[in-house]
Amino acid sequence: MPDTPVLTLRDLSIDFPTPQGVVQAVKALSLTIQAGRRVGFIGESGSGKTTTALAIMRMLAEPGRVSNGTIDLAGTDVLALSEEEMRRTRLSRVAYIPQGAMNSLNPVMRVEPQMWDAVIAHEGALPRGTLKARSAAALASVGLPAHTGNLYPHELSGGMKQRVCIALGILLDPDLIIADEPTSALDVVTQRQVMQTLNDIQRKIGSGLILIGHDMGLMAQSVDELAVLKDGELVEHGTVAQIIDAPKHPYTQDLIRSVPLVGGESFLNPDRSAPAPRRSSREPLLRFDGVSKTYGTVTALHPMSFALQGDTPQIISIVGQSGSGKSTMGGVMLGFNPPTTGRVLYEGRDVYGMGAADSLDFRKNVQAVFQDPYGCFNPFYRVSHALSFPFRRFGLSEGKAHTQRAMEDACAAVGLDPDLVLPRYPHQLSGGQRQRLIVARALMLSPKLLIADEPVSMVDASLRATILSNIYDLKDKHGISILYITHDLATAYHVSDFVMVLYKGRVVEAGPPGQVIGDPRHPYTRLLIDSIPWPDLNRPWGSDDWTPEALEHEAQAAAAQFRGNVPGFDLQTE
Amino acid sequence: MTRTSSEAQSGRTPPSRADRRQTRRLRRFDSPWMNPKLFWGLGLLLGIVAIGLLGRLFWNLDLVFTGSNTLKLPPVGFENLRRQEGTWINPLGTDGSGRDMLALIIMGAPNSLFVGLLASLIGMTTGIVLGFTAGFVGGRVDDTIRVLSDVMITIPPLLILVVFQSAFGDVSLTMMALLIAGFVWQSPTRLIRAQVLSMKRSGYVQMAQLSGASVPHIMFREMMPNLVPYLFGSFIASVTTAIVTAVGLEVLGLGPQRIPTLGRTIYEAINAGALIQNLWWWWGLPTLLLGVMFIGLLLINLGLDEVSNPRLRKLS
Repeated sequence: MPDTPVLTLRDLSIDFPTPQGVVQAVKALSLTIQAGRRVGFIGESGSGKTTTALAIMRMLAEPGRVSNGTIDLAGTDVLALSEEEMRRTRLSRVAYIPQGAMNSLNPVMRVEPQMWDAVIAHEGALPRGTLKARSAAALASVGLPAHTGNLYPHELSGGMKQRVCIALGILLDPDLIIADEPTSALDVVTQRQVMQTLNDIQRKIGSGLILIGHDMGLMAQSVDELAVLKDGELVEHGTVAQIIDAPKHPYTQDLIRSVPLVGGESFLNPDRSAPAPRRSSREPLLRFDGVSKTYGTVTALHPMSFALQGDTPQIISIVGQSGSGKSTMGGVMLGFNPPTTGRVLYEGRDVYGMGAADSLDFRKNVQAVFQDPYGCFNPFYRVSHALSFPFRRFGLSEGKAHTQRAMEDACAAVGLDPDLVLPRYPHQLSGGQRQRLIVARALMLSPKLLIADEPVSMVDASLRATILSNIYDLKDKHGISILYITHDLATAYHVSDFVMVLYKGRVVEAGPPGQVIGDPRHPYTRLLIDSIPWPDLNRPWGSDDWTPEALEHEAQAAAAQFRGNVPGFDLQTE
Repeated sequence: MTRTSSEAQSGRTPPSRADRRQTRRLRRFDSPWMNPKLFWGLGLLLGIVAIGLLGRLFWNLDLVFTGSNTLKLPPVGFENLRRQEGTWINPLGTDGSGRDMLALIIMGAPNSLFVGLLASLIGMTTGIVLGFTAGFVGGRVDDTIRVLSDVMITIPPLLILVVFQSAFGDVSLTMMALLIAGFVWQSPTRLIRAQVLSMKRSGYVQMAQLSGASVPHIMFREMMPNLVPYLFGSFIASVTTAIVTAVGLEVLGLGPQRIPTLGRTIYEAINAGALIQNLWWWWGLPTLLLGVMFIGLLLINLGLDEVSNPRLRKLS
């Protein structure tokens, strides 16, 4: 029965009373989802995607409440159910796979009993054999081996945990599955595998699926219909083809345009022609001299040598999956994580054997932007503390007024209103604003080298382009060299002068981005590029015969590919 | 669209009582220090301090000496077993050796609080220093401090203190506070060590390191302010423990011999058979005051808990 709606939302409004007045998180939302259809909810954080999903589950956080409208789940009025009826409905008829599902497994229970709990809660006590068969079947259907059931959550990888959560969700054949950013914490390769699993299983049980996310590419590859939400309002709804090919609402157009594409139009300032200011230096700015890092028996980084000259500022991208050793490399460069062998030299001096004065100079000149913009500010202080403290500490300040002016200039340079932002506390700002403040901080200190470790992976898609062009401006206008650590090949393609692809602690392919990413030769680079979800229906992603294992196997054996050099960066590997 | 706007207008009717109460709760949610539990708890403790201060100004404290009046007089409005009525000369009655109860309480109640505060102040300071050292330095130092505090936690303090106090004979209040302090530093040490360990890896500490901050700066300017709610909570908890320990010792007759304390008054009452002679005011009044003190501390602790942990702040 493809025509019966599994979910009908009519004029759904959700209110959150606050001291400043009632905030309408969702405004008169009407939507119908047919059985077997996949619908994507897309929008920025705060647009009401998750709130709508939680309202369907009747799990709204206090003090939120449905103020108007109806939720009809395949003929049942969800809002009229009693608490006990609702409990029975959850999971058996509508399953919710929460955001960061990997943290929602009980760490002290094996996987199997957690699944049995779900069955017992709905169907009463069943013989152990039946339970075991049920959980094994569910695990098999998401492509996990049967012995997974006997493991504890910490013994599973992120992708496996996510699949266990999907297995839990489909255990009772629900009419509707709600997946709230199921892959936001996973890297591209795993993301593609998990999305395939989710789509396969949804097709098999023929349920409806709501996929919540903010990545237009992922949506284009995984859903049939798209609902675009902005500030709690449904601004556009239609099939994926309609929306991707001919977006009507300006917000949708923005969303689509904000996805950086390999080979596509650049999102950076068009006038790249102006040469970046040069610095004079004799010694290489940063030199890795046979640096490796091992943790016990695990080698995070194989011996690696390179030299980054200081005279021409440039952006070197280090690309790889999680666990490829790229963040270890960042930590080693910053002087936080001493290498097991080899030396890290900053302008000819060993970073790990510096005196106090040299160390302060190194700190001033090598700065960082971290992944998590939420943790970077001390919640006790106003955000201006994070900007003014290092400025004074490094002796750049010539008095209070000077510091204030420098902060205001830096904020303006990254497109923030200083009067609005600086006197606030960190929790009053959005993730994007905070990350831009960190970039402004780097700008104020004007270091020689900036290490940007996944600076945009926790920021809304629509803001990524802005922050990246802020970072790019650091090089272009202020002559700061940048090491950009990322898993996102598309952005690396646009911003960098040189790309290194890291796989299991080794450089497997390196060269100018046009060659490495535009025309990959190493199987691992190909695997990474294949995994990118394109917001383009003509570049399908979900072919079923895609086997990352084969490519990865090939990648183990393949030799590293070096594709030409850029002046000022010399890479040697052994 | 028209529908939503008309609804917004209908929402502007004067707020009902329930709505106003909701708003008040929300306001409390926003300014956590306006916590009724905290107020009541502080009020009770300040009340006890006030008894001590005002009493010294307005009451004749010479009445604490033995035989200053008739023995075993009841409070005003009551009769004792000898059919004597309470008089305004001793509004709360007298004890078995004719000491005025009011004067005893005025002298004794602040003493108990003083021992508790001093002991936990010393204990907390030790705990902060050791906790920060262990968390920050790590390695051998951390092992030593951790094992030491773990071992000390398992030792029942009263047992050791009984031995100590009987060896010392008569002790001063400060001496007793010092001895008790030796048993209240362990849990703050562990608490702070755990917090420091998790904070050390946080983004803002890394940022401070990148900003060239010195170790003392990171400890006291970046980490410490975020620990304040925990420190307060832990402080109040150790004040409670310290008072319980002090009173325990006093009731056993092991506290200061020459200074009136609430515990010592109870000890003397029990010794003189006040329970059998129905001299309830003798042991009852100090117990009541101790009860008030503990309830005050408990309320402050609960209040601070809600302040530092927003999840406990209920909206409904």
